[in-house]
Amino acid sequence: MAIPAHGEHAGYGQRRRSAPARLYLAHERLVIGGGTLVALLLAWEAVGRSGLVDPLFLPSPTRIAQAGWGLSSDRDFWNDLQVSGREFILGYGVAVAVAIPLGLAVGLSKRLQYMLSPFVDTLNAVPRVTLLPLIVIWFGIGIWSKVMVVFLGAVIPILINTQAGVKTSEARFIRVARSFSASKIKIFSSIILPGTVPFIFTGLKYGAGRALLGVVVGELYASTAGLGHMIAEAGNTFQTDVVFFGVLIFMATGLVVVAFLDAFERRFEKWRPDLH
Amino acid sequence: MPATAGQPQMPAMLRFYFAHERAILGGLMVVLFLIAWEGLERGWWARLLHPLLGASAERWQLKPIFISSPTLVAQAAFRMFFVTGEIWRDLAWSGIGYVLGLALAIVVGIPLGLAAGWYRRFSYAVEPLLAALNATPQVAFLPLLVIWVGTGIGTRVLIIFLLAVLPLAINAHAAVRTTDPRLIRVAASFSASDWRLFRTIILPSAIPFLLAGLRLAVGRGMIGVVVGEIYGSAAGIGAMISQAGSRFQTDKVFVGVLTIVAIGVTLVEIVRRIERSVDVWRPPS
Repeated sequence: MAIPAHGEHAGYGQRRRSAPARLYLAHERLVIGGGTLVALLLAWEAVGRSGLVDPLFLPSPTRIAQAGWGLSSDRDFWNDLQVSGREFILGYGVAVAVAIPLGLAVGLSKRLQYMLSPFVDTLNAVPRVTLLPLIVIWFGIGIWSKVMVVFLGAVIPILINTQAGVKTSEARFIRVARSFSASKIKIFSSIILPGTVPFIFTGLKYGAGRALLGVVVGELYASTAGLGHMIAEAGNTFQTDVVFFGVLIFMATGLVVVAFLDAFERRFEKWRPDLH
Repeated sequence: MPATAGQPQMPAMLRFYFAHERAILGGLMVVLFLIAWEGLERGWWARLLHPLLGASAERWQLKPIFISSPTLVAQAAFRMFFVTGEIWRDLAWSGIGYVLGLALAIVVGIPLGLAAGWYRRFSYAVEPLLAALNATPQVAFLPLLVIWVGTGIGTRVLIIFLLAVLPLAINAHAAVRTTDPRLIRVAASFSASDWRLFRTIILPSAIPFLLAGLRLAVGRGMIGVVVGEIYGSAAGIGAMISQAGSRFQTDKVFVGVLTIVAIGVTLVEIVRRIERSVDVWRPPS
């Protein structure tokens, strides 16, 4: 989730300034944000090189980069990456395919909602990773237990948000459409569905976070391969730089998935008139 | 129920059904689910299907270590809560870590978010870090935390903290940002001090956001409890679940999961109540 940007313009309505100052003010956000990041990395590197801290404890950024470079020629690493990727895509894909239609149906039918809500509410109240020991008993320690955890993690937020989106459809629009005797299908496709799209995307973003969490926890708990497995193994053998590199990959994946969903959402929402 | 409004008289049974449709349909599904589950373990369905499927009907009976059954789970729950009392120790152990982690997250996250919302430059500095951390599955830090602070309570507190702090900080940040600028401008033009501005305008309008953040943090913290304990801990409810799982004591696993469900529902409901009671004074907009 990105933090909303500032509405104000730096330097607005101010007297003339020197060129560098103007450049700084125009890109203040970037300069300060990037500067902090660079300063942190330099401080971290300095601490790492000074020998004050054991690299087993806190490896410096360059060491982490070296570890990453070393891993890139390691066939096991690519296999781990592939296994984790497959778990994520399968689990998340099935969750999306199940949760959106089911959420729409539950939102449209009060009775269906009454029937399913005890189960959905219960699952929503429990961190689904709690079910891992059961899932491992049922599906073993291979890829399928992880796919299941990813699925369970992602399906609930998508389902709940989709359902909430249908429920909050603008009642006035529906009444207008009815009084012009629009068919149910027409009402669904031209009022309810477009109104639900932002909610679906919120759910998809939450779900992606939960799905990644499922991959990590599932692999930490019991696995034979995967990035989480790699991190856990490296942690046990004090290869701290490899652990860091693994965490970075997860971070990058999270950022890419969220950015992708944001871009996708913007594409979908382009038609919407700007009300602000 | 609007379903009955303005309709001619219905038989009493139907009227009762419509008045309690939600509870009846929900309850019915739960009962059906429990019967289906119990039947799988006791072999009801295997016996029922035997004339149809012959020997392959056996597949419809599952071993108790595989799925347990509602009655077995209830028995295990009774034993663990009231006979041996073993679960209380685990709950206390988990509870300490949870309270400490959540408290730390509140103490750090809310001031951090409020400061980032108030000071523009500070927010430029921390936004990228918060966004990156928020996109990461924070549990991936567990092996690092174990290297840094060992497998004791420190790791569990820190993982709960890491999971819970981001929703708190992000919501506090958004809360300050969405304060009505007109109110701030009015107060500023009457030369209110920063502190007064914060206390009388920003904080009251931030409270709903902060509580919504707290509600998210409460749930994320529960993930931290479970994950921190299944990864490496001797005691606690998550450790109990994981140990019972590896010994195929499926009934105990279910007792643990259901206990966590009960605690999670209760905590979230408490925060909801606070949210509602705090919001009472607010004029409907």
